[in-house]
Amino acid sequence: MTFTSLNFLFFFTIVVVLFNLIPQRVRVWFLLFASYFFYIDLMPVFAILLALVTGCTYLFTRIIANSKSAIGKHRVLVLGIIVIISPLIFFKFFSFVNLVITTLLFRCGLHVSLPTSSYILPVGISFYTFMAIGYLIDVYNEDVESESNIGIVALFLAFFPIILSGPIERAGNLIPQFRKLQQTTYSDLVAGAKMVLWGYFLKLCIADRLGLYVDLIFNNIHTYNGTTLLFASVLFPFQLYADLGGYSLIAIGVARCLGIIVVPNFKRPFFATSMSEFWRRWHMSLIKWLTNYIYTPLSFGLRRWKMSGIVTALILTFIISGIWHGAELTFFVWGLLQGIYLSIEVVTLKKRSEFKQKFCLNKNPWYILISCVWVFILFSFSQIFGRCGSIGDAFYVIGKILNVLGKIEWLKLMPSSLGLFSLTLLLIKDFLDEYYPNRFLLFENKNIIIRHLSYAFILILILTMGVFDSGQFIYFQF
Amino acid sequence: MIMQKKEIIQTLTLIFRGTFGQPTLDLRDDLTANDVENWDSLTHMLLITNIENQFGFKFKLKDLNKMKQVGDMITLIESKLDIHPL
Repeated sequence: MTFTSLNFLFFFTIVVVLFNLIPQRVRVWFLLFASYFFYIDLMPVFAILLALVTGCTYLFTRIIANSKSAIGKHRVLVLGIIVIISPLIFFKFFSFVNLVITTLLFRCGLHVSLPTSSYILPVGISFYTFMAIGYLIDVYNEDVESESNIGIVALFLAFFPIILSGPIERAGNLIPQFRKLQQTTYSDLVAGAKMVLWGYFLKLCIADRLGLYVDLIFNNIHTYNGTTLLFASVLFPFQLYADLGGYSLIAIGVARCLGIIVVPNFKRPFFATSMSEFWRRWHMSLIKWLTNYIYTPLSFGLRRWKMSGIVTALILTFIISGIWHGAELTFFVWGLLQGIYLSIEVVTLKKRSEFKQKFCLNKNPWYILISCVWVFILFSFSQIFGRCGSIGDAFYVIGKILNVLGKIEWLKLMPSSLGLFSLTLLLIKDFLDEYYPNRFLLFENKNIIIRHLSYAFILILILTMGVFDSGQFIYFQF
Repeated sequence: MIMQKKEIIQTLTLIFRGTFGQPTLDLRDDLTANDVENWDSLTHMLLITNIENQFGFKFKLKDLNKMKQVGDMITLIESKLDIHPL
């Protein structure tokens, strides 16, 4: 049962109705039951792992909260992080470590085969592991109180709208909401339904439509010329935005229909005028997590090195982020590139600020346009590494883009042309929201006719142009 | 020599202006990172380092979470410098 299946729509509707009919005192347990039902439906055995991580998180946070000794608390924190992150590392990196050791032994002349793991990565493991570690650290830092009700902790980690691909929530936001679950209000239901509708539009009409073309080209890089590869490389960031952005909106909207407010994950990223601003708008919950729990402690520890410390912390943080996406050299380069981009920006910050002030560029539309395009080029370039299967393929694509030009394969683009139309709608909406907020409203228009026509229009687009057999969301693999 | 709160704010203003490249920036208690251009998680650590160097004390990692706005920062600096408001 994924978000794009009909089963999910039935499941979600039943959950919302029952949630509002049952007494308040059992709502946590009902949502917990619904969340495990949702998760077990995907892969029953992995629910055991989720339950174990939950049990460990509960135990370690309670011990930290009740411990009087600072050293004791710190030891429990370290032990807790190791225990909670171990399954993620095992499932994510076992095959990679195995391969590295086997290769090294082979090069030394030893033909040794190590035991292999045939397990697939449990879906959502990265997301609930990150949330569990965040909760543990927040309790240690006394930013949140440790929750004594294990049902609430279990719901925090298993909450069905966000367990598969986030947004990565913090205990400080969700747990207080779970403590007082109220009946859903009409405005929550309407706001949630609007987000779900727009989310499905992004996923089915943009991401999956564009995916038909992008996947075709990237799966056959030796067949197509540089111009076609360039065009696919330009489309891929949009596909990714619509895919994870659409998923996030559905997740946030579903939660809202239960009266629960989940943090946003995207904020018009392609209108960012610098890479640092881009990363404050793209996959925001992951970046916030990386900032809070990796970058800040690292840069704080290295602050004696001043700028060099910040640059080191930045590059390490993004390399970790890259490796989290996959234990492959392509993701390492992807992370390294983000780190380099941001390091250059932070090092040149003062000079750039002086330059902008001197020529009054802050509100200059041409400067803003050029900056947005430049940020997009940098991100798209890095995504070639994120999209290609190997580092060799990535350099092959880049080489072909630079050297082997030709005509774009327009015929191959035909199935995705409707996706381009939908993408244009999305970019126009983002543009209006960015530069003319509250002036050109559709879903939020005060005029009931415009509002309902907008819903109907998007619904018709989804039903007529949506791709309903594309399978998973891109971020399920992480 | 014990610094007065006014002096702390003056010194802090110069640090903010220098760190974020905003020569006309004025501080107020409710100022947050959202209000100041270039103040983000990347430059925040530069700010922390500059404050430590200027005032001659060290923050703890936990202190960072307590500073939600400039007013919190001033209060924390006062406590580090052992200034007790009258």
